[in-house]
Amino acid sequence: MGQNDKNKMGIQGRHFIFILMAIVVAAPLIFRVGLPLRVTAEVRQVYGFLDRLPPHSAVIFSFDHETSTLPEMVPLAEALLRHCFRKNLKVFGMALLAEGAAVGDDNLRRIGSEYDKKYGEDYLFWGFRPQFTTAILALGERIDHEFPSDYTGQDIRSFPVMEGIENYKDIAAVITVGDGDIPVYWVNYAQARYGVKIIPAVTAVMATTMYPFLQSGQLVGLAAGLKGAAEYEMLIGKPGRAVKGMDAQSGAHIFVIILILVGNTVMIAGRRRKGR
Amino acid sequence: MHRKLPLLICFALGTFMLVQFFVPHKASTALYEAILDWVQIIYAFSLLVGAMMLIKHHAVIASGRDAKERPFSILILMGITVMLVAGLFFGRGEGTVFHWLFQNVQAPMQATMFSLLSFFVASAAYRGFRARNSQAIFLLVAAIIVMLGRIPVGEIISSYIPKAADWILNVPSMAARRGIYIGIALGTIATSLRVILGIERTYLGGK
Repeated sequence: MGQNDKNKMGIQGRHFIFILMAIVVAAPLIFRVGLPLRVTAEVRQVYGFLDRLPPHSAVIFSFDHETSTLPEMVPLAEALLRHCFRKNLKVFGMALLAEGAAVGDDNLRRIGSEYDKKYGEDYLFWGFRPQFTTAILALGERIDHEFPSDYTGQDIRSFPVMEGIENYKDIAAVITVGDGDIPVYWVNYAQARYGVKIIPAVTAVMATTMYPFLQSGQLVGLAAGLKGAAEYEMLIGKPGRAVKGMDAQSGAHIFVIILILVGNTVMIAGRRRKGR
Repeated sequence: MHRKLPLLICFALGTFMLVQFFVPHKASTALYEAILDWVQIIYAFSLLVGAMMLIKHHAVIASGRDAKERPFSILILMGITVMLVAGLFFGRGEGTVFHWLFQNVQAPMQATMFSLLSFFVASAAYRGFRARNSQAIFLLVAAIIVMLGRIPVGEIISSYIPKAADWILNVPSMAARRGIYIGIALGTIATSLRVILGIERTYLGGK
């Protein structure tokens, strides 16, 4: 077998894996399997904390992610927003990454309308601020100084929802919806310096980064990845796209495990053949 | 002098930010707020410089003769122009051109690029994740347990799988993380002190 033929075989094998992966992900989205879901302690802690907050407590939703992680970030944000709006909490949105601004504004308005919430009265979107370290620190001094106007350019003091909101001491929790390291900065600067309660809603790959802070008691809880979103959807009694997506994720994980096992079996069989 | 002045500014502001944390006086808080404002202003200008450099770089390629690269640079310049004009002159809220382009062009394209990872992970799992030695076997077993433990199927197979996955994340993985974090913190303190005291000067450029 020549080098060219070997390459051809490799490419064909890879394409076969790609096609199988597409089927494994798409099929559960079309034909719902409905696998049972266990709610983890860290997600339950988030739910319990938000559920115990008195009505009209203020929470900040910081959309600290880019659009590449939307399939994980949006279900997480939606589930948490639904809970906050249902509990009649004051919701303030902001973004520490530019792309999060448009996504955050859209999420707030869409989920807010589901619960007949009014912009400026029940929720407000402050907008985007660059240089996240200083932005996080500045909110601890005066919010209206850091965000003099909202995302639409109006004076934030002109909105009734801002009444009595000066800085972190008036904020019950910060929910950071992030796909990178920014939730860690929220812990380092807002929690450590100002004692703000931090709730990270992060991608699955970032979960391990957050566990040390969870164990040290610096986080209220943790909702991570599509699984975290699905668990939260179960807790609020509104299964949505995350619960549906979990079947697809299960399929993908199992497929990857099978590939690892097959790959190793082929390798061991090859070694044995060489040994003979 | 052109090197001493930045070093002096760095020393004064660095020391002030360190001391300010322990001095909650009105004057120090006002100065602290002003510094935070200035950091953001400088950062915003650096974004502008970055955008200008990007435009300049692609304008050179777009006007050049490299037929292979030209279309991509033209596309980037068109994208920047369209989003800038749409955002600056027609607003960013719901129902605007900017919002439509963001939701229906930029977001799906970026999500698609990221989603392609699953295909490469699958391919890499088959070709690269091999139990060649004892360390690799440990890694392989841990990965399989965590992957199974994070999906409902793991619970169906055995209730011990999610528990084992939680243990891996909460004990060995956490221990490694803590070590990394402590190392990062010590490194940050050491580097910050070197910058404040003027020992570390690479940020000034030159040799």
